[in-house]
Amino acid sequence: MFRELDPLLHNPLRLSVMSLLITLESAEFNYLLEKTGATAGNLSVQINKLKEADYIRVQKSFKKNYPLTTCKITPSGIDAFEKYVDALQDYLSAKKDKG
Amino acid sequence: METKLTELESLKIIHEMIATSKNRLKNNSFFYLLWGWLVLIASISHYVLLRIHVDHHYAYLLWPILMMAGAIVSVIAGIRIGKREKVISHIDKMIMLLWWGFCFTLLVVLVMASFQKLSWSATYAFIIALYGLGTFVSGGILKFKPLIIGGIISWIMSVLALFVEPINILLVMALSIVIAYLIPGYMLKFKEK
Repeated sequence: MFRELDPLLHNPLRLSVMSLLITLESAEFNYLLEKTGATAGNLSVQINKLKEADYIRVQKSFKKNYPLTTCKITPSGIDAFEKYVDALQDYLSAKKDKG
Repeated sequence: METKLTELESLKIIHEMIATSKNRLKNNSFFYLLWGWLVLIASISHYVLLRIHVDHHYAYLLWPILMMAGAIVSVIAGIRIGKREKVISHIDKMIMLLWWGFCFTLLVVLVMASFQKLSWSATYAFIIALYGLGTFVSGGILKFKPLIIGGIISWIMSVLALFVEPINILLVMALSIVIAYLIPGYMLKFKEK
């Protein structure tokens, strides 16, 4: 029947972050902030959740004395994202069948 | 009902984010123009100096000077771009790997030539073919036809180079760098704006 939608990805901000990171090699925190339009605090929290699930890798460094956070999707993150998209297809094709 | 909307919204989010992060052609033209001009100046001046009978050891000197200068400028520019840009795209990484590979292959070829294992004519012809590989593949990655065409023409010119008088290979090299680097470089620069 329907595959379960990963609750970690079934969230607008986390899904936005994962969608951005899957198309990129890596991205800085500020880029993710700009593209998602989220608040810094909320984005931080969601990035940590994705990091704890090993969906993304977070690297902390410095850029001109300011802390710099760079994110990169992990192989398990890519896998989870693909499974999520497949599960979405189930729901959407079911909707089509119902007409 | 609520579940259906959320699925559609999810798909919309994914599409929007992917569209937002699509790679714009940027920063690449600088390197084609830098190296295009350096090689053009080096090959033409080498040719002219040989024609006016300057000793070939001195006529050759602009090559190591300009190529070293190019390498230093490229590295500095690369570091600056890396610091400035907030993202590294898959394409950026592929292009970087390609040109590093090109560099090391070129070094190997030059080492072979300096140990007299390759004739200088063959070396120049091979280097033109190597440019062809670099521009052909990067053109394919960037989906930019002028680079792809430049690459193919370089391969043709590298074969032609073997049938001309050795000194004229420098002119073949100059012509191929104009076609493979400079023309596509300016077209790319125009497109990047």
